[in-house]
Amino acid sequence: MEGKRILIGDRVLSRQDLFQQKEGTRRERAKLSFEEKVKILVNLQRLAHHWGRRKDIIIWKIS
Amino acid sequence: MKETLKVLNELKEKGLIQDYAIGGAIAALRWIEPFFTQDLDVFILLKDEDDKKEEVIDLSPIYEYLKGKGYEWKGHWIMIEGVPVDIFPADPLEKEAIEQAQEVEYEGVKTKVIVPEYLITLFLKAGRDKDLRKIEMLLEQCDVDRQKLEGILNRHNLNKEFKDFEEKRYGR
Repeated sequence: MEGKRILIGDRVLSRQDLFQQKEGTRRERAKLSFEEKVKILVNLQRLAHHWGRRKDIIIWKIS
Repeated sequence: MKETLKVLNELKEKGLIQDYAIGGAIAALRWIEPFFTQDLDVFILLKDEDDKKEEVIDLSPIYEYLKGKGYEWKGHWIMIEGVPVDIFPADPLEKEAIEQAQEVEYEGVKTKVIVPEYLITLFLKAGRDKDLRKIEMLLEQCDVDRQKLEGILNRHNLNKEFKDFEEKRYGR
């Protein structure tokens, strides 16, 4: 499995490439502004509250 | 959140605290990719703290002030403008972290956020699994000044804990 190549459209990748790309995306997301990250956090809280049925989760007021 | 920060700044302006900085998960969020968390941890420096020799740290004036503004308790949190806040009086490491925190703006409101090197040390000290996971994320996703980190770890005798952490997580 480790040595097999993965074909996505016209891209040929290894598993390692995929993980590296994923890591790169995480580093990019880390560069978002504080405000944008808090907005995402509030969406996560909303998701946990409604979809995850965690009624104890407080959804922050951000504006 | 913006309004919450305004209230925290008010505590400083009114002289109820000397300074504060955002710590915990929200501070980490400043430096790494977004993740789920519930509350806002705020570390505070009280006025003239060094002169006081008392064993008891009295946060009542702060809470009285907040109560007077209509903010209420929800479990261990005080709800400030719709955000659950935990207020911690700083220990020596946290005091340093507040002093070295970075000034940032959130929607035009000034605030201070603890920097990655101090966050790593604080999470290491807390030592729970979720804290250690945040250390990994900080090390992997933002630029950590290793020299600065080592200095903090040295000063607070946490070198061994950090080495053990690295060995366990990264096998080095």
